[in-house]
Parts: sequence; C-alpha cells; structure tokens
Amino acid sequence: MKRVVVDPVTRIEGHLRVEITVDESNGKISDALSTGTAWRGIEVVSKNRDPRDVWAFIGRICGVCTSTHSLASLRAVEDALQITIPKNANFIRNIMDGSQTVHDHTVHFYHLHALDWVSPIEALSADPEKTAKLQVETLKKYNVTGLSRRNQTLDSESFSKEFPPATPQYFAAIQAKIQKIVDSGQTGIFSANYWDHENYKILSPEAHLMAVSHYLNVLDRQSEIVIPQVVFGGKNPHPHYIVGGMPCSISMNDMNAPINTMRLAAVDKSINLSQNIINYYYLPDILTIGKAFIDAGITDGGGLSKVRVMGYGEAPDETYSGTSNGDYNKQCLVRSNGVVEDFAKGVENAKFYNLEGEDFMNPEIIQEAVDHAWYKYPEGSSELHPSDGVTEAAYDAGTEWVNLDETKKYSWIKSPTWYGKPVEVGPLAKYMIVYTKVKQGHITEPTWAEQLIVEQIETVSSLLGLKPEEWMPSTVGRTACRALDAQLGSSLERYFYDALVNNINAGDTSVANTEKWDPTTWPEECKGVGIHEAPRGALGHWVNITKGEVSNYQAVVPTTWNAMPRLANGEQGAYELCMIDTHIAAPDKPLEVVRGLHSFDPCLACATHLYKKDGSKITSREV
Amino acid sequence: MQLQNKTMWEHFQDRGLSRRTFLKSCLALTAVLGLSPSEFPRVAEAAETKKLPVVIWLHGHECTGCDEAFIRSTSPYTSDVILNMISLESSHLLSSAFGEAFNAHLEKTMEDYDSQYLLAIEGAVPLDDDGTSCMTGGHTFKHELEKVSAGAAAVIEYGSCATWGGIQAAAPNPTGSVTTSDVVKGKPVIKVPGCPPIPEVMTGVIMHYALFGELPPVDQVGRPLQFYGNRIHDTCYKRPFFDSGKFVEKFDDEGAKKGWCLYKVGCRGPVAYNSCGNMRWWEGLSYPIQAGHGCIGCSEKDFWDNDQFYDRLPSIPTPNAVIDADTVGLVGTAAVVGAIGVHAAITTFVNKHEQSKKDKEQKAHEAHIQDKQTVSKNDLGE
Repeated sequence: MKRVVVDPVTRIEGHLRVEITVDESNGKISDALSTGTAWRGIEVVSKNRDPRDVWAFIGRICGVCTSTHSLASLRAVEDALQITIPKNANFIRNIMDGSQTVHDHTVHFYHLHALDWVSPIEALSADPEKTAKLQVETLKKYNVTGLSRRNQTLDSESFSKEFPPATPQYFAAIQAKIQKIVDSGQTGIFSANYWDHENYKILSPEAHLMAVSHYLNVLDRQSEIVIPQVVFGGKNPHPHYIVGGMPCSISMNDMNAPINTMRLAAVDKSINLSQNIINYYYLPDILTIGKAFIDAGITDGGGLSKVRVMGYGEAPDETYSGTSNGDYNKQCLVRSNGVVEDFAKGVENAKFYNLEGEDFMNPEIIQEAVDHAWYKYPEGSSELHPSDGVTEAAYDAGTEWVNLDETKKYSWIKSPTWYGKPVEVGPLAKYMIVYTKVKQGHITEPTWAEQLIVEQIETVSSLLGLKPEEWMPSTVGRTACRALDAQLGSSLERYFYDALVNNINAGDTSVANTEKWDPTTWPEECKGVGIHEAPRGALGHWVNITKGEVSNYQAVVPTTWNAMPRLANGEQGAYELCMIDTHIAAPDKPLEVVRGLHSFDPCLACATHLYKKDGSKITSREV
Repeated sequence: MQLQNKTMWEHFQDRGLSRRTFLKSCLALTAVLGLSPSEFPRVAEAAETKKLPVVIWLHGHECTGCDEAFIRSTSPYTSDVILNMISLESSHLLSSAFGEAFNAHLEKTMEDYDSQYLLAIEGAVPLDDDGTSCMTGGHTFKHELEKVSAGAAAVIEYGSCATWGGIQAAAPNPTGSVTTSDVVKGKPVIKVPGCPPIPEVMTGVIMHYALFGELPPVDQVGRPLQFYGNRIHDTCYKRPFFDSGKFVEKFDDEGAKKGWCLYKVGCRGPVAYNSCGNMRWWEGLSYPIQAGHGCIGCSEKDFWDNDQFYDRLPSIPTPNAVIDADTVGLVGTAAVVGAIGVHAAITTFVNKHEQSKKDKEQKAHEAHIQDKQTVSKNDLGE
C-alpha cells in the first residue's frame, strides 16, 4: 500500500488537497481523503451589513462561479423581505445566469480539465492535414446543433460566424508554436505534467492537436461569452445587481440608457457566439474525447453519483413570490429539484424523492455534520440544520503537514447531508434527476428545457452506443453532462432574451421593484432562503435580517456537498468516492485521480466554512 | 525598472566581440559549471537564446476572480501574453502540473531564475492562528509567500485582496488577513487593485514590460499611473449630468432610463481611482455605472468598510456654501463658482471622505484588537 498526496490540486478554484491509499499491485485505490485547506470567513464579514449590500459581499465567495452567489443571496434577501422582482429583472437575471453557466463550463473544460485528457506533447507528432480532416469529420459526426434553441423573435444570425478552423495551415501554425515552446525550454503552463502517462496515448496525435488548438482558440474567445453580464451588470467577474431587480433601466429613447437596442444587440450577438462555441467546439470535442476513453474501457469515477444525487431546480420562467413558499420551484423551467437514488441500476429502477419550498427550511432534511471537519458542536448535537448551525473551531493539524489523518478531523469543509446521507450535486445530478422525473412520470408535462435534457441524454447515448446508466455515472459522464448543461444554458439565454424582447415590445420596461427599498418598510425580524442550481450544482443561501441588518448568513454550496469529509459512520462524499472508484496506472503519477476530481469542477473557496475564534455560537453563517 | 538581462550573446555583440570569442567563453563557462565538454552546445544555445520573463503566480486568500479577469483580456489576447510575452511557469489556475510535480517545478523555476522572476500575487495573507487558515502544499501560504518572494525581482499585487487585504480583511477580518506588502519587504512592488481589476489593466502591466522592457511608471502608492491616474468621476460619461444637476433619485426612475448621474443612489466614482470611466470593460463596452449601478469603489483601500453602497457620499463643504447633490448642479452652473468651484468642492469632499475612511479603519482596527483579546481570554479558559 502506498500513500500518495496531491497538494495542490491545480486547475481549480481555491485550495484542495487529496491523499490516496493505493494498492501498487493492482492500481486500486483503497481509501481517499479530500480536504479543503483554506477558509476566509466572508459570512462573518457580512454580518451587521445592510441586506441590500450583501449580494456584493457574498458574491466574492467566488470569482469563477461569479454571479451565482450574488443571485442566491438576492433570492434569499427577497424571500425574507417578500419582494417580487419585475418580469424583466427575472428574464435578465436568467440571461446572466445562462451566460455564466456557458462560460463557466466552457472555460472549465478547456482550461481546467482538457489537459487531463489531451497533451500538447502528443500534438507535436500530428499530421496537420489529417488534423484538418479530423476536424471536418468531427463536425459531421458529432453535429448536435439541432438541439440548441433558436431565436423566436428575430433570427439574428444569418449564418454561423464561428466554426473551428479546419485548414492544415492553422493546425501547422499551432503545432509550430508548441514546438517552439518546447524547444525554448520555457514550457510555461505546460511544464511538468506527466505527459508520459499511458492515458495520453488513448487519443490520436491529431485529436490532441485539434483539442490543444481549441484550448488556445477558446481562451481568446471566452470573454465574449459573458458579454450579457457586462451589459446588464457592468462588469465581469462580479457583475452588479440590486435587491428588488436589476439596476439596468431600459429605454429605447436614449443612448445613455443602460439598456437600449444597441445594448440588446451586443447581448444577442454574444448568445449566438456562445451557441456556436458549444455546438462547433465544445460538444464535438467532448464527444470525440469521451468516446475514445469509453472505447478504451475507461468508465470509472462514478462513485456517489451511482447511488445518490440531488438538485434544487433553476430558471424561473416567470417571476415568483418567494422561495420558501414553493413558488420559485413552481416557476422553474428545469425542475431538477429532488433526490435520485440508484440511477446506476437503470432509470426504471431509480428512486425519486421530492424537495421543494418549505423543505429548504425544514431542520430534518438538510443538515451539516462536523465529525471530520475542524469544528466542534455543543455536547449532544451531531448534526444541525444550516439555520441553527454552530461553527466553533477545533483546528489541530499544525502548520506543516506530511499526512492528514482520516480517523480524525481533516478539513475546513463541513459534511452536509440530506436526511443524514451524503449526496452528489452538479450537472450530472441535474441531468439524472430530470431524466428520472420525466421517464418515471413525476413530470407529466415536460417544459421545453426538460424535453431538451431528455433529448440530449438520448442523443449522446446513441452516439456512444450505451444506455444512460452505463455512461452517465462516470468521470466521462460527469464531464459530458457539463457540456450538455452548457448547451442548455445557452438555450435558456436565448429563450429569456426572446422573453425580454417580447415583454419590452409589450410596453413593460420595468426592471426594479423599489417598494421595499427603504429599510423602514421591512419587518423587525425576518428570514429567507435563496436556492440556485448553479453551474456546480445545488446552492442554498439562508439569511436572517434583524432591525435592518443581516443578523445571520449561511451558504451551503455545491463543492461543500461534493468535497465533504466523511461522516461519523464512515460514509464518504462524492470526491472521496470518485477517487476510490478510479483505477490508477502508476501511483506516483495520479493523473486519473485529478481527472476525476476535475470532472466536478472543484470550487474550494466556495466550499470552506468559517469559524469564529472565540468559540461562541455564531449566527451560523458559513461558506 | 529593468527586470530582464540581455542574453550573453547580445552582450558580446554590444561590445563588438566576435562570435569566436563568444564561443570560447561558452566553452570556459561549460568548464566552470562543471559540465562535461559534450554539454558545450547546450550551454552555447542557452547563452544566445533570449528568455521570456518568467512569472510565478501564487494564490492566497482569494476567489480566483483576478485569474478569471486576467484570462478575459482581449488586447492583448491572453494566449499571446502567456505564450509570447511571459513564461507563466507556475499558476494554480492554468498550470497543467499538479501535486508533487507542480511543487518540484516551482522549486526548479525559483532556482533557475533566481532574482529574475516576476512574482504575481493574488489574494491576501492570513496571519491569525499562525496562518493555518490558508494551507497550500502542506505549508501555510505565508510560508510559501516568504519562500517564493525571496528570489523575486519584483512583485505584482494583482487585485484588491493582494493590494489592500480585500474582502476577508473587511471588519472584523476573521482570519487576520493582510496585504502582500505587509509580509514581503524590500522588493519593488506594483499594485494593481480592483475587485477584480479590468482584464486589460492586468495584462497591460505585462504588455508594458514586453514593449518597453521595464515595469510601468507608478504613483506614490505603487499603482501604475496609466491605469490609476484618474478618478472614475473625472472620466465618467455621466459627469455632465452631475455638473448640470441631473440625478437618478431612485432605481429605475425616469432619470435612470435617461442614464443620468447615480450620485444620489450611491456612487463612489468621486473617490475611486481606476480606468472604468475611460477604458471601460470589454474594450469600451461598459462599466458598472453605465449598467445603471453606482461604483462601489472596488479598487480603493478598504472599500468594503466604507459607507453602505447606496448611501450618497458626504455633502460637499465649500468656502461659501454646503454643496450636495441637490445643489451641486446649481453651483456648478452658476457663473460665480463655475467648473473650478465644483472641482474644488469635489476635492474637498474627497478629503473629507478619506478622513471618514480613516476614522472607520481605526474603529475597525480597534474592534479587531478587542476581538483578539477576547479570543486569548477564551483560549485561557477565562
């Protein structure tokens, strides 16, 4: 048995360390430990602030999944203050969220995950002419553009402006650049990876060159995907919002107006670009790579997704009166709220449990344990609901680590549970849940978005020649579902853009409900919850407001669910089970482990919790 | 400042020395380095290959929003920056390597480019509890920062967390987070604040170096003048509305639809030094004020602990009158006072605001110290 430490896990957000125990004789991982190694205490900072300011503070939890925490925070504050935002504000927030989803997934795949599958070194032996041919074939073979939603108002794009170049010259130029970098000895970001790992032999050199070219191409284009955030929110990362709606007033009479025809045109163009990048780069690349790995027999890494997944629901079609009263979930176009167990046994055998509205305030359903996290609970408590949470430090691991001890406390991340059990969250979970709900009849009239999810899953199943339960619960499946979610995200952008245009056309330009802007209109005490199916999965924020100030803030975020340390009974979370479910070829080159972790798109700054140093019971706000 | 030396061959050329002399020196160098004669061609090649400036990028207490901003640059393109202008040898976000190999490569880079590499820091440095709230590679971030900065030629503090401490340093600063400069001493430091900075500001610092061979000129606190020389208020396209007294009274009112000045609904443009007004985001596409929201002053020191975002800045005392948003338009257009008066007024109220900031900092600091004392008492079981 060999103990291997990976610290830092790079190409992620924040600080993540894992330790694995490997049987060197067969490459089997017998145990794995995942730990978040930093906490910042943003929730403590948010205390006693004006609830109208808090979206900005809480948004800084993460700059990669930027805007998602602000959105959940606004929903929580608006739930507490019982503010219904205008239709246009709901549409705009949904467009911004769609662009975030597309951007987050696209950058994740190419710039944080691709180098687990593809190698610039292998690309050096590619034939540029053959690569150009491969590009053409790939676009033909993996053409899933028909699934994307088209404009309903104005079909603005006369023809696709974004195809991947498919000329030998283009690939030869990139290959020459890579060769030059290698020859210079300054390999920069490509330095020191295990490029000699046998997994880099799975793809052809031409597939490597094609993917590396797209890595560079998309790096230069990705900023345009988030233009809706720059137009509606003024900047990105960290765009601006207001409680009660959006600050970007609409007027077709003024070039100085935050939103006018010209600004909408910029948004529209960005959505077209996003759809093209997904349809012509991202999805064909994922399908090329995924198929090659599955054909090579690499279908491991499913872990907890085989057993239990959870989602919250997203994309409210119309504005809603609150979250805790269930109206939010009723309006969602993607009703991924719920838990599915045993998807790996086939969709017909999977078990579904609903989750909505009041459930998010129910102290029996969502709880957090700290048996292996550097916190302690009062005598007699083992698991607490977020809104009753206690966070008292119990750090005992010193300033230098060799190995952490999984029998003791080992992470700054708490262990959230659904009825006392760990769950996996993320696009894979969302897709399993919607698919199960539709196939089992829990959803009788699927929305167009839910219908799209079903069609996407069936299209990929047929391209791979596998049943959903065979390819989805795996590292490849997690990565593929994220790409499908990007296509869904861009389709939602398109849908809500049309809705916005139609509504403006109907004479409604309102973007903010300011009836309760003045704190004197607020109750002395109130609390609310905001939920969001963020790019990384189920996200919940809880806020208490007392006398005009935030008295309590707490977030339980997707990476907390996935990266959690084990429970007292030894049950493990998604990261640890993914690693245990992964076979590695060489313990000193744990590429497969990192590839599995990356399939979750780890976001550790989000996941790590706070404690208060004086050990007092604090207002249960943690992130 | 000049970071990168010329290649050895360029030095020889500068002095008019021959190729033959250069090669003889390389041979001597091979011997001095204790290498076998067969290594001679490699030494000669290294001596005549111009190296890209090496950048090591470290991450402390941060949200990775600054990395995200960096990769969103379009002039120059990020690919051109990281492939042609610098060699980004170590970055948590982009490096393909991880774990042991990543750490070994970092060590090797520090050795190979000792005293030559540029160190980019994203994030604050937590000091409380021996810095254990931010561990990386099995050590504290503070330890890592001290180790890597020792051999750096210069340090770039990217973003408001590295520059000012940022969100985690906002009151009550639960982790005792400080800026890079509080830990790293005796190195040239360039400050690039913003939450995050504008993408092209981040890459612009590097572009400047690539073009002119030295880091850009900075102001007295170390910010590049080119990007932080003006207040947003002075470059804001809504400035004429401020001067003529046309204000948004509440969000989404008629003034908001006309794009009028946001001063009354809370805007820190008058106290924020940044390029949002003249350069804007996405090469001129927008900035928060253009999207209808006041500036929150994210490039300014301790902006989180200044007034609430939707409070208007304090009223403006002038020699003859008190000017606030209700009267500034009148004063601004009055023949007697004119534009000069308005600018003087703004400067005065900026000073006042900064004083109020200082008071707040002092208060926050005292609260933090008090908090610490409470902790130690509790630790002692009192």
